[in-house]
Amino acid sequence: MHIAHFIPLFPFLAFVIDILIGRRLKIASAYIATGACVLSFIFSLKVYQDFSCGAGSYDLGTWLVIAGKPLNFGIIIDPLSIMMLLIVSFIGTFILIYSIGYMHDDPRFSRYFAYISLFMSSMLGLVLADNFILLLIFWEGVGLCSYLLIAFWHERPAAAAAGLKAFVTTRIGDTGFLIGILLLFFTCGTFHFTDLKSVTGPEPLLTIAAILIFMGAMGKSAQFPLHVWLPDAMEGPTAVSALIHAATMVAAGVYLVARCFPLFVAHPIALQTVAVIGGISALMAASMATVNNDIKRVLAYSTISQLGLMMLGLGLGSVSAGTFHLMTHAFFKALLFLCAGSVIHSVGIQDIQKMGGLFSKMKITGTTFCIGTLALAGVPPFAGFWSKDEILLTAWQNHHPVFLILALLTSLLTAFYMARLIFLVLFGTARSQMHPHESPMSMTIPLMVLSIFAFGAGFWGAPIKEGFIEGESHGAGMIMTISTLVSLTGLLTAYLIYVRRITLLPLSVLNSLQGLKTLLINKYYIDEIYDRVLIQPCLRLCRASFDFDSNIVDGLVNAMAFVTQYCSGVIRRSQTGLIQNYLLIQVFGVVLLLIWLLKL
Amino acid sequence: MIPLEYFTLLSAFLFCVGIYGALTRRNVIGILISIELILNAANINLVAFNKYLGTKDALGQIFSLFVIAIAAAASVVGLVLIIAIYRNAKTLFTDGLTLMKD
Amino acid sequence: MNEAAFYFIAAGVCVFAVMAVTGRDIFHCALWLAMTLLSVAGIYFYLDAPFLGVIQILVYVGGIITLFVFAIKLTANIGYKSIRQTSKQWALALFITALLLCVLSRVFAAHPWAQTVLNVPAASIAQIGRSLMMNYAVPFEFMSVILLAAMVGAIVIGKDKR
Repeated sequence: MHIAHFIPLFPFLAFVIDILIGRRLKIASAYIATGACVLSFIFSLKVYQDFSCGAGSYDLGTWLVIAGKPLNFGIIIDPLSIMMLLIVSFIGTFILIYSIGYMHDDPRFSRYFAYISLFMSSMLGLVLADNFILLLIFWEGVGLCSYLLIAFWHERPAAAAAGLKAFVTTRIGDTGFLIGILLLFFTCGTFHFTDLKSVTGPEPLLTIAAILIFMGAMGKSAQFPLHVWLPDAMEGPTAVSALIHAATMVAAGVYLVARCFPLFVAHPIALQTVAVIGGISALMAASMATVNNDIKRVLAYSTISQLGLMMLGLGLGSVSAGTFHLMTHAFFKALLFLCAGSVIHSVGIQDIQKMGGLFSKMKITGTTFCIGTLALAGVPPFAGFWSKDEILLTAWQNHHPVFLILALLTSLLTAFYMARLIFLVLFGTARSQMHPHESPMSMTIPLMVLSIFAFGAGFWGAPIKEGFIEGESHGAGMIMTISTLVSLTGLLTAYLIYVRRITLLPLSVLNSLQGLKTLLINKYYIDEIYDRVLIQPCLRLCRASFDFDSNIVDGLVNAMAFVTQYCSGVIRRSQTGLIQNYLLIQVFGVVLLLIWLLKL
Repeated sequence: MIPLEYFTLLSAFLFCVGIYGALTRRNVIGILISIELILNAANINLVAFNKYLGTKDALGQIFSLFVIAIAAAASVVGLVLIIAIYRNAKTLFTDGLTLMKD
Repeated sequence: MNEAAFYFIAAGVCVFAVMAVTGRDIFHCALWLAMTLLSVAGIYFYLDAPFLGVIQILVYVGGIITLFVFAIKLTANIGYKSIRQTSKQWALALFITALLLCVLSRVFAAHPWAQTVLNVPAASIAQIGRSLMMNYAVPFEFMSVILLAAMVGAIVIGKDKR
């Protein structure tokens, strides 16, 4: 029994307590959840400390034997899982603290903390799982919690619909994932990650298995074309968006690809797919973020875009680049979401066109928001710069100019839309009646702590990635310079447009761009296309089946019931309840018997 | 001398009249009356056989005595039941007494 | 002379019985029943069973008919002539009963009865009494128990629960 086995157990106990007696515990339910999370973090630190002598796989016991192959309740301890453990439990702790203030008046306060605890438990389990089946169980666990938390305010139809959309969309990916796992098992007979390095099997089947597994990652990490659920998921409480839909759960897809990386490396087509999907998602989501006016949705598109970058990094063959960006992104995206939550908590609206000038009223939130923005935009020396630089460098070193340009474009757009966001929200003048006020301590402290990491995680991360890092090489300095320039260009453009209100381009060009803007605002019409191509035909099929069922199947049953009823109605008349009727029949019977017996 | 068949035919007729009454009377008392007729039909047979076929120590007559006693007991119980039914259901018509159906 | 008496009494039995089961007024029916029973008593006298005839008159006409009249009077309001006394199945019942009568007649007519009348002397009352108390003492005692049970039962059932 390794101490890491305990890590997912604490939040699970907190979940059990909160779900059963949370209503009576009131505020204490939050303390239990937070305490469990802190314990998990401490244990994770301990695992990190003991890492040098404790790497490897630890079995708790055999669970199943499938086709002669044992399937263990095993956990895996390696740099990747330790990094994820630390991120999840650390960010989770602060988001739980933040939630105490954010959810303060909610009638289902304890329910919220129960769900979050269950999520933490599943996520930590997911990170530790050493085989696909165990991972899949926790994978579905986080999916369930995500659904429950998106639809947490299920009184709002939009929230309920968003929860459903998230669940169904990720389900498509998960189906692929499950098929991929089974395909892998039936071609090379293993569920265990440690065996992935040495799998051999028929080439096309393994490539297909890898792509199918990547489908699961696509669903969870909201990559094109399964990205549609994430922006809608912003209907949930903002703290949930920060924890689940920015920092941890959506990173599970990236984690999965990183975890199965040997499989992808062995099959270049699968790896190419990862890179292409990542690149498309990165640019597409970034472009959509530039026109959106909902503070949380801008961040949601940004998340898709950044996850795309991570996938791109992985797809280009560098686990270190992808996972390093995963880590830094977890900090600053959680920070940004919490800042957004703080703003929403304060002013009660989400439309950035109606905000403005909040900086003077909310100093702490404003400052930390700016730090998060700089980190995301990739301005040195903030965390995002270092990790993004890794990805760009990988693209450069592996001679993928297309992906390099894609990543730089994304980077430009990222800087632009983030600058647009803070200029519209924090600076300038207020564009509607608002009464902003700084948020309570329980919310500002996590902001401050996370902003430290958003600033410094780039340096702090270096020792963790020791396991992967390659030597500095030619071109690093140049890439750094280009990346910085691109980010600054983005920031400057946004400054000119949204603060100085300068028209940068001639009017004719702007007019021709109007069509593009409409396209972006309508999210490339992807929801509409899905609706037209997939959902409506499906609904029509459902309706037809329903009609068939209610008319023909039910009709048959009803007809049988009617015939039975009618016949029994006829037969029932013989049961008059009049004793003389019965007597008459009896006498008649006796007469017949007499005739027969006496042979008359 | 009247042949035995005449008595049996008389008895059969009386029996059938009784059966008919039991099958058709709506009034419960009427049914009881019909049952008395049926019992008497049986008695006529017994007494006639006693006379014509001859038995030791007048067995047919003794049998008839028993039948009369049974008939008396049956009538007593039957009439009391009728009164009890009337008290509960406020009717003595068989088509009103359909408890077996309802 | 003797034969004429039989036909006369038998006709009485038949007519009175039919009246008893078809009459509209239940009280009249009870009286027709009394007439029928008296006629049957006449048959008993004709068959040299005077003791039985007397019992018939005493028990039936004196006791049972009185009981009937009591019952009718206690449930008075249903005996009116205006109420239909036969049920709707009378035609079917008539048919079946007629069939039954045919069957019984054929059986009785076809059976080879002993044609000679044994010249058994009519049993005297003393003889009957002796055989009742000696040969048939046990059934006799049973009979008295049954009568007692009927009496007790009648009291229990007839008792007003309120």
